[in-house]
Amino acid sequence: MRQGRNEEYQEFASARAGHLYRSACLLTGGDTHLAEDLVQETLGRVYVRWGRISRADNPAGYAQTVLTRTFLTHQRRHSSRKERAADALPDLPDPATAGDTALRLTLVEALGRLSAKDRAVVVLRYWEDRSIEETAAAMNTTSAAVRTRCVRALGRLRALLGDTLGEYART
Amino acid sequence: MPVEEHDPFEDKFTKALHDAGNTFETRRPDLVARGEARGRRSTSRRRIAIAGSVTAVALTGALVLPGSHGDGVRQQSAAAGMAKPAVPPAPHTTVTRDELIDTLKKLLPKGKFSQEEGRGTDDRLTPYAQVVYDDGNGKAAIGVSLQRLLPGDRMGREATECPDKVFVAYDTCSSVTLSDGSALMVLQGYEYPNRRSGTKLWSADLVTPTGQHVSVQEWNSPAEKGEPVSREQPPLSTTQLKALVSARAWRDAVNAMAVPRGKAEPRPEQGVTGRPVSSTLASLLPKGLKVVARSGKNEGFGYVVLDDGKGESFVQANVQFIKDTDPDQRIIKDQLFGADARTLPDGTKVVWHQGPGDKNVKGGVMWTVDTIRPDGRRVVISAFNSGTQNTPPTRKAPALTMKQMETIATSTKWRQPLG
Repeated sequence: MRQGRNEEYQEFASARAGHLYRSACLLTGGDTHLAEDLVQETLGRVYVRWGRISRADNPAGYAQTVLTRTFLTHQRRHSSRKERAADALPDLPDPATAGDTALRLTLVEALGRLSAKDRAVVVLRYWEDRSIEETAAAMNTTSAAVRTRCVRALGRLRALLGDTLGEYART
Repeated sequence: MPVEEHDPFEDKFTKALHDAGNTFETRRPDLVARGEARGRRSTSRRRIAIAGSVTAVALTGALVLPGSHGDGVRQQSAAAGMAKPAVPPAPHTTVTRDELIDTLKKLLPKGKFSQEEGRGTDDRLTPYAQVVYDDGNGKAAIGVSLQRLLPGDRMGREATECPDKVFVAYDTCSSVTLSDGSALMVLQGYEYPNRRSGTKLWSADLVTPTGQHVSVQEWNSPAEKGEPVSREQPPLSTTQLKALVSARAWRDAVNAMAVPRGKAEPRPEQGVTGRPVSSTLASLLPKGLKVVARSGKNEGFGYVVLDDGKGESFVQANVQFIKDTDPDQRIIKDQLFGADARTLPDGTKVVWHQGPGDKNVKGGVMWTVDTIRPDGRRVVISAFNSGTQNTPPTRKAPALTMKQMETIATSTKWRQPLG
């Protein structure tokens, strides 16, 4: 990679790594070790393709798509991880940096109850603010499938979270 | 906003998700350096692999130039690491955005066209063409999108099987296998899950045995969203939709796309360790209630649609395990079963919630009984006063009373091992 492009990559990776990591933590339902591995893999792939990613493109969106697909491929290969095992726990962030520990625990645990694909839809739609069409493109699936997953996942989350989101009612 | 409809739960959830996500901070400052190191290793492995393959063919007297690597996302191995040395087959000549739009216009009956947009097969994202078409009876958006799948892949089946009516609103749907082995689904549905604003979305999806996926969609409005309905129905009949989706030109265009690497994903495995939630739920229902639909074999989540003769009612169950011995899980438990929880003689805690249902459906209600046993087994039963989570109410209240739901949730039948 040329020096100039390399510097651009470095700048991009440094700026985006934190966000990618947070996305990965949500995708993995709080498995921070797997999240780190996925982010490294994602950044590695973006590095390989960097020369072909035009400045006019949206490298941040591209990296997020790579992360989602890397996650889904990983889940497919480790099918036992499709849903959180009954006794598996989310790894949690440093309590010192935690805002509302109880809410975060409950929410991440509830996310962990969803299938990997449902979780990917939720993260792309509600964390990344992607449209149905964009979510479908990122996941290599159809808009109809995304709609179905989205409704089903929200229905489950609504039941699992109960009234725990009540405090967000007025914010 | 990611949502096309205003739903208080979605708003709250979106905010809570951002707050929760933003609390994660990596303790690994070298994440960027490690990522770059992986990229460098992968690049050098690929160079060696390509050099090796060129040497090999040179020795046999034939030289095949490696084609485009296409989308690196689909073509490389994932977190497992090792890049495969094989070079993917070169795709055929690119079909441009303009060519796709022209093809769509030529295949449609005579009319006026405007707002043409699209992406060619050389784009990183899915190729598509979309136009606003007016046959004289009102403007309508019509689009076609193309995808190349691995033959027999799960995604192809997913795209051509009629969806579960509980999650997608539609009037008619047919799914057939054509004489050449292609699967075809034609669906007459709605843009919004609750049929809001009357925007209809009719679609046809065709997946060939070799993995060519063509998807055609049409609306009775000049845009998917945000524009009023311009005509009663979308312009193309189901017969016309079938003809459009089956046109040879689309399959030729899909052939210009890179073939994804890897193996086709088979049908997802069904759980084998325990009983499906929907079966347990169905077995616990009071007498006199007819189950008109139910979910598959999932062991953590399931639903049934009930009919007691007074209208359909959607009932879902979630089963999970919360370990009280772990401090973090105890926080979750305390959050869910706070001061308003009742404790039954066997130590089971119970909370009742009654609130509005999904998507601001007028008059829609969702009743929930949340329970947790002393061993940490949590069973949540929710019931709606409609046959799905997002359609207008079919009755005043769900088909189950709160007491009946509590009886179901606290049944000993939920004590079986969880998968």
